[in-house]
Amino acid sequence: MRKNRLSVVVVIIVVFLIGSFFVEKKESAKEKLPTVGVLQFVSHPALDQIYKGIQAGLKEKGYEDGKNMTIAFQNGQADQSKLATMSQQLVQEKKSDVLIGIATPAAQALANTTTEIPIVLGAITDPVSAGLVKDNQKPGGNITGVSDKSPVDAQFDLVTEILPKSKKVGILYASSEENSKYQVEEAKNVAEKKGMSVKTYAVPSSNEIAQTVQVMTSEVDFIYIPTDNTIANAMQTVVNEADKTKTPIIPSVDTMVEQGGLATVGINQFDLGVQTGKMAADILSGKAKPATTAIYTFKTGDIIVNQKQADKLGISIPEKIKSKAKSVD
Amino acid sequence: MIVSAIGQGMLWAILGLGIFMTYRILNFPDMTTEGSFPLGGAVCVTAITSGIHPIIATLLGVLAGMCAGLVTGLLFTKGKIPVILAGILVMSGLNSVILYVMQTPNLSLLNKPKIQDFFLQLNLPNYYDIVFLGVIFLAIIISLLLFFFNTNLGQAYIATGDNEHMARSIGIKTDSMKILGLTLSNGVIALSGALIAQNDGYADVNKGTGVIVIGLASIIIGEVLFGELTFAERLVAIVVGSIIYQLLILLVIKLGFDTTYLKVFSAVILAACLMIPQLKKALNLHFLPSKEDER
Repeated sequence: MRKNRLSVVVVIIVVFLIGSFFVEKKESAKEKLPTVGVLQFVSHPALDQIYKGIQAGLKEKGYEDGKNMTIAFQNGQADQSKLATMSQQLVQEKKSDVLIGIATPAAQALANTTTEIPIVLGAITDPVSAGLVKDNQKPGGNITGVSDKSPVDAQFDLVTEILPKSKKVGILYASSEENSKYQVEEAKNVAEKKGMSVKTYAVPSSNEIAQTVQVMTSEVDFIYIPTDNTIANAMQTVVNEADKTKTPIIPSVDTMVEQGGLATVGINQFDLGVQTGKMAADILSGKAKPATTAIYTFKTGDIIVNQKQADKLGISIPEKIKSKAKSVD
Repeated sequence: MIVSAIGQGMLWAILGLGIFMTYRILNFPDMTTEGSFPLGGAVCVTAITSGIHPIIATLLGVLAGMCAGLVTGLLFTKGKIPVILAGILVMSGLNSVILYVMQTPNLSLLNKPKIQDFFLQLNLPNYYDIVFLGVIFLAIIISLLLFFFNTNLGQAYIATGDNEHMARSIGIKTDSMKILGLTLSNGVIALSGALIAQNDGYADVNKGTGVIVIGLASIIIGEVLFGELTFAERLVAIVVGSIIYQLLILLVIKLGFDTTYLKVFSAVILAACLMIPQLKKALNLHFLPSKEDER
């Protein structure tokens, strides 16, 4: 009886495979609203803001969810084994007209699923090194998007103004993130050009952050954090440890300043999402083609200062910066 | 969609077969899995990006996985470290090895040759390349396993798992058997890692997180649904179990549940499968054939 059951199931699977092999399903061409498929890699404040921004950006261009288009949203929650299935769901089942990938693994999963449907990248620092496009100016394929590469130059300019005595920088990042690796290299170059000595600290996971920061606070004048998902999620740990020795933190994302970083010049994640949403809308309406749309990079950003944190650390922010800065606390 | 899920189920089934070799035959859980799986993918993808033929690259991935298993085996038998700990140690150490091999946490295969490209000329419908790839590799692995377990060495291996004292008393080197098992099993696991990395189009240092659950799910679903089987049938049941697990995940996604909470659904699926025998007993469902009926 039981043995039969196994053979029955095997036969069902085989018959199904052979069946659908020959019956090339003819898709019913029924009227449907244009669909934007969004695949987010994991939930955390920065990426969630991007998704909100995307919705706002689409709306700005006249596309509203539920009215004249549908958003199909999938969140992989950092489980890479599910990203492939979710991408297929967005491509085949939801018949997305434009796909948006938030964070690198999500974008790669989408890129691997389709080479035809346009893909807009949200928050990929360097699409070339992630193997997604051949060239940032002329992507050439079905992929374009918005880079979250932060204005590192501007960030270190800010440091020299508010922390003039700081000469030793420690860069904290997760060794598991492609995004950070690229940005760390860039930050290192910029800082060295400004005459600072640079030390990099890679952590394998969020569990090692507390000890690493303890070591850093005894060795460097301030801590720099790239756009790093692992560190972003553990920002509170970093702040707690750094506060003990009053070591200032210069993150590269506004949400991390809110959580206890001192200041940064940051791309607002929401604005980044808006830009992504607008790009998707242009592709959806046929105004733009991914192959000829250059990857959008933010040249400048907003100065963001956490005044409460500055007071706590006993750092006085120069007036001319204060007047330009957006304050968070 | 369903075809793709079946294809993926087949690739994941290779992982289930690898775990089966230690978890069911030697009766211990091998945590090396979560390290050897991404290692297989990492080595394979790195090899392909440096111009090596995908088939050879896949085999290199398998070799790397076998080395990882060998280290766990040595730590366990010669170093007398409890097997779970030995596995966890190797798994966390492999994180660094993977980063060293790839020189980056994430390596893409876009515009690079992949093993499933060989099916391109056949002009198959969508996703049949994975199905064919899965069928071919499953056929190879299952026949190799069946062949192996029918040799004297394979019988000694099974005996080690069944009753270690007895096996030792008839002159079987049980330590060598354990090392052999861990080595072979992690080779098979790395093979599935290499194939899945090529199917996904990239290797990532974090790809191993949670894979042991997927492997165990295939084994458990197969066992719960089909019960007592011969050895060959048990291997097939793992494949079917793996396909069913992928279909259940697909179902959860399709039913429109919020995928933010997907992990709780996979946990519920697994827990439900594990409880089926108890539920059957409790409800005394006579219409489901029990073991007694068969005898």
